[in-house]
Amino acid sequence: MAVKMSWLAPRVALTPALAVTFVCFFLSILWTIYMSFTRSRRLPEFGIDFTTWGKQYDRLFHDGAWTVALTNLIVLGLGSMLAIGFGFLLAVMVNRERAGEGIFRTIFLYPLAVSLVVTGLVWRWMMNPGLGIENFLHELGWKDASFNWLAAPETAMYGIILAQIWQSTGFYMALTLAGLKSINTEIWSAARLDGVSFWRLYIEIIIPMMKFTFLTCAILLSLGVVKAYDIVVAMTNGGPGQSTWTPAYYTINAYSIRSNIGFASAAAVIMLAITLVIFLPIVSLTAWQARRQAARA
Amino acid sequence: MTDTLANAAAIATPTVYARRKRKLRGSTVAIYAFLIMCALFFTVPLYVIIVTSFKTMLQITEGEIFSLPREWTLEPWYKAWNTLCTGAECNGIKSGFFNSLQILIPSIAISLTISSITGYALALWNVKWANTFLFILFMCAFVPFQIIMIPLIILMSKTGFYGTYLAVAVVHAILSLPLLTLIFRNFYKDIPQELMSAAMMDSGSFLRVFVEIILPMSGNIMVVVLILVITSVWNDYLVGLTFAGFSSQPMTLILANSVITSRGEVIYNVDMAAALLTAIPPLVVYFGLGRFFVQGITAGAIKG
Repeated sequence: MAVKMSWLAPRVALTPALAVTFVCFFLSILWTIYMSFTRSRRLPEFGIDFTTWGKQYDRLFHDGAWTVALTNLIVLGLGSMLAIGFGFLLAVMVNRERAGEGIFRTIFLYPLAVSLVVTGLVWRWMMNPGLGIENFLHELGWKDASFNWLAAPETAMYGIILAQIWQSTGFYMALTLAGLKSINTEIWSAARLDGVSFWRLYIEIIIPMMKFTFLTCAILLSLGVVKAYDIVVAMTNGGPGQSTWTPAYYTINAYSIRSNIGFASAAAVIMLAITLVIFLPIVSLTAWQARRQAARA
Repeated sequence: MTDTLANAAAIATPTVYARRKRKLRGSTVAIYAFLIMCALFFTVPLYVIIVTSFKTMLQITEGEIFSLPREWTLEPWYKAWNTLCTGAECNGIKSGFFNSLQILIPSIAISLTISSITGYALALWNVKWANTFLFILFMCAFVPFQIIMIPLIILMSKTGFYGTYLAVAVVHAILSLPLLTLIFRNFYKDIPQELMSAAMMDSGSFLRVFVEIILPMSGNIMVVVLILVITSVWNDYLVGLTFAGFSSQPMTLILANSVITSRGEVIYNVDMAAALLTAIPPLVVYFGLGRFFVQGITAGAIKG
């Protein structure tokens, strides 16, 4: 290159970001992993007793609430997947009938600007047994209608899932709509000329073409589910009993209520492990895909 | 140029319609019926909290959740702003509003400065390990907050910041640094190398090129990132819960504390007014800058 670019200046400019990444992410993660092997309680202790180094994990996996939290994680994950399907359905319809696209998109997406705490509060109010939708349905004459989901341990999770779907569907609609729009217009006209039916077009051509969009959606959704905390606090605060605890809720609870750093660290490490399990497939898949494309080119 | 295109489109449209003049098809009706039903699903909750917040408690206890207020009252809004109780304190949600602002402003300043400069350095300057660092940032963007929470709390306590506005703002900036840097970097990497060379000939220094050439070009991306920061910081609950002191609690935290964890008589109209007051700032941003908002949320997701 003809122009001489400074060697030092960009490195100086990168220092803050490097320092943050190193201290706040790298060292902090190592610190938490280390702590999970110690017997720290309210204050960090640095000695590891090697005969009982796995004690925190042992306690964790023998705690009923942790099992409940892990089960809820799966339930919430599967339930929230509906948001992707629902969002894609909306994207297809909005994309098919162009008129009103802007209005519908605005309406479907606005819940994303609302915080999960407010979302939780709103749905809690809607599910209020005496004054909410249930009461409304009773007055319409549907006496058996039950919408008091949050009061029973069996259904409380579904209430959270419903609120989660309400809040996040617009996001997946926006993502899949962007995916739909990036598909070559020739495919649509070719399909129309060949008389390919609506369903076949989507199932056999469009959805396979959009597999990366869906993968992105699925990964983002899973990571969001692992982090699910605000919505649980706002809707049920973990109750009834401990029936709606999630790993994120469990970890914060172990730190702030039980004041047990070692134990909370162990729970946080498992959260990181879950994230990695979700995250690694996409990294390797993207890398593999990139390599395949490079080989083809 | 956009104007000419728009004009051309305006001229072209009627002829297109004339050629495709067709009967209203059944599938079109079905699609719109479905879309309108879905739109109801998304708007009804908003409608319900708005009407509830204007009703008197007397009417609320009658239970008709969808009915309009018989008499519109502003009292719940006044109470929510001024006298809503959190524990023993009854100072309303207004203190939370100003706390949130005092968290938001330094957070915006720190986030935008560091991530834009980092993104610029990584995209346009010769740094050999840029790609490695980007990959690490990409990984960091997905790390759950809980695993770095406790060491950060200890770090903040040791430095004496814990419980201040600045602590919450800094933690927000740390958490958003990876994603925002990636967004800036992806925007700057499309700047042609010739332009950079010309800029270098002209002024030459790292900072001057950034301030004089690059920054004036980044209006769009700045707005996108700004929206991302505003909505995420304003809507945050967890960072506020773990890093704010009693006098620096953000608005969502005060809302949650007074509505969710309080015991005793529940005053629904005041609760709903407080929820709306908390939701209004990000909603204003959303309805005012919707186009950028969509860009912001998809930028992080797709390009990440």
